[in-house]
Formats: sequence, C-alpha cells, structure tokens
Amino acid sequence: MQAVSTTAVRSAATQEAVWVRWLLLTGALLFLGFFLVLPLVSIFAEALRKGWALYWEALKEPDALSALQLTLTVTLISVPINLVFGVAAAWAIAKFDFKGKSLLITLIDLPFSVSPVVAGLIYVLIFGAQGWLGPWLQAHDIKIIFAVPGIVLATMFVTFPFIARELIPLMEAQGTEEEQAAMVLGASGWQTFWKITLPNIKWGLLYGVILCNARAMGEFGAVSVVSGHIRGMTNTTPLHVEILYNEYNFVASFACASILALLALVTLVAKTWVEWQTERQMAAERAAVYES
Amino acid sequence: MSIEIQSIAKQFGSFTALDKVNLKVETGELLALLGPSGCGKTTLLRIIAGLETPDSGQILFHGEDATDTHVRERQVGFVFQHYALFRHMTVFENVAFGLRVRPKHTRPNNTEIKRRVHELLNLVQLDWLADRYPAQLSGGQRQRIALARALAVEPKVLLLDEPFGALDTKVRKELRRWLKRLHEEVHVTSVFVTHDQEEALEVADRVVVMNKGRIEQVGTPEQVYDTPATPFVYQFLGDVNLFHSRVHGGFAQVGEHPVAGDGAVAYVRPHDIELLREPAPQTLAAKIDHVRAIGSIVRLELSLENGDPVEAELSRDAYAGQRYASGERVYIRPRSARVFAEDYAI
Repeated sequence: MQAVSTTAVRSAATQEAVWVRWLLLTGALLFLGFFLVLPLVSIFAEALRKGWALYWEALKEPDALSALQLTLTVTLISVPINLVFGVAAAWAIAKFDFKGKSLLITLIDLPFSVSPVVAGLIYVLIFGAQGWLGPWLQAHDIKIIFAVPGIVLATMFVTFPFIARELIPLMEAQGTEEEQAAMVLGASGWQTFWKITLPNIKWGLLYGVILCNARAMGEFGAVSVVSGHIRGMTNTTPLHVEILYNEYNFVASFACASILALLALVTLVAKTWVEWQTERQMAAERAAVYES
Repeated sequence: MSIEIQSIAKQFGSFTALDKVNLKVETGELLALLGPSGCGKTTLLRIIAGLETPDSGQILFHGEDATDTHVRERQVGFVFQHYALFRHMTVFENVAFGLRVRPKHTRPNNTEIKRRVHELLNLVQLDWLADRYPAQLSGGQRQRIALARALAVEPKVLLLDEPFGALDTKVRKELRRWLKRLHEEVHVTSVFVTHDQEEALEVADRVVVMNKGRIEQVGTPEQVYDTPATPFVYQFLGDVNLFHSRVHGGFAQVGEHPVAGDGAVAYVRPHDIELLREPAPQTLAAKIDHVRAIGSIVRLELSLENGDPVEAELSRDAYAGQRYASGERVYIRPRSARVFAEDYAI
C-alpha cells in the first residue's frame, strides 16, 4: 500500500508533460505490438487458418512427432549436462582465485559471441567424415555428425553460457564467508555445497535453467549444420518448421511453429513466476529487517 | 588450549601482512589483537583458524604443530565480522549445523542436538528467536547467534574477527561486557581482533598491539596504557601531545625522565597536562583557544607561542574550581611524560 501512495504523491514537478508521456508510451507499445505481438498472433492465426482438424493433422504427422520428440530428447540431455558444468564453472570462478580465471570467463562467453553456424561447423570439422577424428570414428562405427550426438553437442555449446552467466554474479555477490563458516564448523566440501551453496543460489539456478531450456528447444543455426536434415531421424522441430515452410506447406509449418511458440510462452510464465518468487523472498527479508 | 605462533610471515603480493610474528596465547585467556587497519591482525587470526596459510612459520596448538591441519580438524570456533550466518536456515538450524555435519558415528541424535542448541541459545539469552531467520534479527542478536553457533562444536579456541565492529555504540558497550562475562563462564581460550583501543582495554586479559605486520607490545591493559613500549603504542592507545625538545627548549626535561639529547620527543597524555595561571619554572606559556565540555570531562584546546596545538583534559570538578575561559593565557607542565628519541620509527 505504501508504494501506491508514494507514486500518487509524486508531484508534477518531477514529471514530463502529459503529452510527452503519452507519446513515448504509445511509441513503445506500437513498436512492441508490431514486432512481438503481431508475429506471435500471426503464427497461431496461420496455423489455424484452415481449421482445427488440419492443424491437428499436421501435428500428428509422424515426422512432426519425431521432430518434437528429438527436440525434447536433446533438451533433456543438454540442459542437465549444462546444469552440472554451469554450476561447476560458476563455483570455480566465484569462490576461488586461480591463474587463468579471466580466460575462463571469456571462454564461457564464447558461445554468445560466435555465430551458431560457426559453432556447428566446429563440430563438423572435428567429428565430420573429413574432420580430425572422422576416420577414427568411422572405423569404430560411431556416428556423431548427422546424428543425435552431434545435435546434442551443438545445442550444449550454444546454451552453455546461460546457467554459468546467471550464477557467477550471484555467487560473487554472496561471497565465500558462509562457506568458510561451514568449513570451520567441520563441514566437508560436499556438505558445504549441498547445505550452503546450493540453497543460496537455487532461484538464480532455476532462472538459468529456464533460459537454457528455452534456447535449447529453439536452437536452429548450429543444429542445422550438424543435423543433416534427415526426416524422422535428425530433424528437430525448428528444422522441421523450415522444411515444411520451404515446401509451401504453410499450415503444417505454422502448426509446428505454434508448438515452439507455446513452449516459449510456458517458459515465459515460468520465468515470471521465478522472478516473482525471488522478489517475494527478498521483500520478506527486507520487511523482516525493518520490523526488528 | 594454548596457541603458539612461531615466526609466522605472510605476504600478499608486495604487501607484507605479517613479518615473522611470535606470540603465545595462554590457555583460557582472552586476548585482543589491536591495531589500525592493515596492520595484519585479521590475517593473523585467519592463519590461526586455518582460513589462510602462512608463507613460513609454525602454529602450535597445545604444543603440537597444527600448521598443516585442515580448518575442519582444528576445532576452532570462528565468529566472522559480518557474522556469516546461513541466511536460508533458522537460528536453530544455524546453531545446530556444526553438530549435524559431523560424521555419523560422532553425531549426536536429534534429541541431544535439540537439547544442546537450546542450551546454547539460553547461554546467549536468545532462546525465543530459535525459529527466526537471520534477516529477521538485529545486529546485536546476529552477533550472539554467530557466537552460539561457533560454541556449538565445543571449540578448543574461539576466534572473533572485529566482533563488535558493525554495531552501534550502545549495543557495542553492552555486548562487550556480556562477552567478558561469557568468557568467565565458558573459559575457552579466545582471541579477538579489534581496532578500537577502548574495546581491547576493557575486555581483554592481555592486549597485543600490532602495527605494519609486527607486534609492538604485548601486555595487560594497564601495562600497555601506562608504560607503552613504543611511540606507536603511546599514540594508538588514546590521545597524546608531542613535545619536540629542539622546538620547546627545556620542556622535555620536565618530569623524571632524562632528556635523550637534542631531537628527543616527550609524549604526554592530555589528562597529564597541568594548567597554571602563574608562570613557574619549567612551564610553557600557552593560550586557550577552545573549551569543550564532553560528558564527564572538559577538553581544552591550547596553542603554544610557536603555534603548536596542545590538548589538555580536566575532570568536571577540576574545571569547576578554575573556570578557564577561551582566550586566557596559562602555563602548562606535564605531570608525567615518556621520552623517545626523535628518529624512532612510528
């Protein structure tokens, strides 16, 4: 209630003229509507243009189902692996001092700065038939490029920074005193991690996982290079959408796109919920401090 | 348990935090490490705890070398300057932590843990806060919970880093007395770090005055205050007036201390300065600039003929008998002074 009253009290002296405010607000909303809301609505409109029956038909089609299944499989493998390595990297960077620390931070950011296509090509160069390990892999009948392992690798590469980047500032802000206190009290490194570090970063971690998950499901560029586009085999949903679109099968293409859009919306809701939870927790802590 | 520190040295880059420090902490005593910031006192405390490793030298716990013993096995209690309470745990769980993380065969059962935690919370008089979270406590309460948590593991040594640093003056005074009483009750060998001389003199059995990575003096509060070993100790423990013999002529000869020749400096505490209305042998003329009544004392700011400032302190009673006014000319002489050679490193 207090927050409401303070905004109401804010005087005209500190505000812009009414018409300026309206102009800016309208501009921002128009821009958002044109570039975000309109495309999103059009996905669903296009998908349902020929009715629910066709929409449903397009989703039930075996290639679409297998693409969705592959997308979920890849996500389910790459997100947990990134979770473990992201936490490990953030822990190492935030809690310890060592040589080459800044180099490691730069390396973690690398996937953000490299084009996804280049990321895909790296794996083709290493594991492809003409690549460094290609002949050896062929001799042992291991398929990485144009197969699921390649797609997982490419997805992991592209989504690696999300969790680590989310955690590093949080862990640095929290410092190492609580961990030191736990250690003096006799806790082992493992106990300290599970009982002190992890509970302190859980909301930040969940936020990172959600972002990582969203990107893993939607990744196109890097996956496109390593997948080989084999229908029903190595096609993820984003790739499947492109194939259908190129075949002028608009309804099916938009139907599959709508699934990705829905997943994105669910992610957004989850992200908002986590943010709300974190804020609530912080507000409760603050209120408690004022009370005492 | 006694602690022996043998020529401990620590370097941070080109900064010497500790320069071959030797010290013995006796069993059961409450020792203060006192010094300005950057003097190495906190580093020494953290080395005793095992949170920092010395570049050279040894730490002996009860005569046994503990230099390479892991923090976990040192059995020390450490109270951090900002308490470092576990923010996601209740007060009860914070205090119970040290017992819960013990290996299975030495871990007490739940009822025993409960009993011990409540016993400790009663000791720090905060049993009614058991279900609160650290964020819901005041600074003084957090401090006492941090202490209870450190005591839960029955440490052989209790180490406190600026235990009252983050509290306001009134709470600090209360907690100071409380810590002193607690130490008399628990009687565990304790070392605390402080930059506040009043705190060190009031609480500690013995005070270690440190400066620039070295120990300047070790002694009881009376010893370090009344007979400071070095000019630094003199200046750090309370206000002091400096009289350079060259400048003030014969002034440094006053008192029982012989002059060390030209270039000697006499150190005189403000409350050891005597004010006279009439000139007398071996006095210096001065003018009163300001008179300020501060609580139980009256502080006079004077200036000598050459402009050097001098501070004098009178009790309220003494001041009431004389009623010095600002602008008045008086003559000053020290009741006692300590003379050090001028080039003594400060």
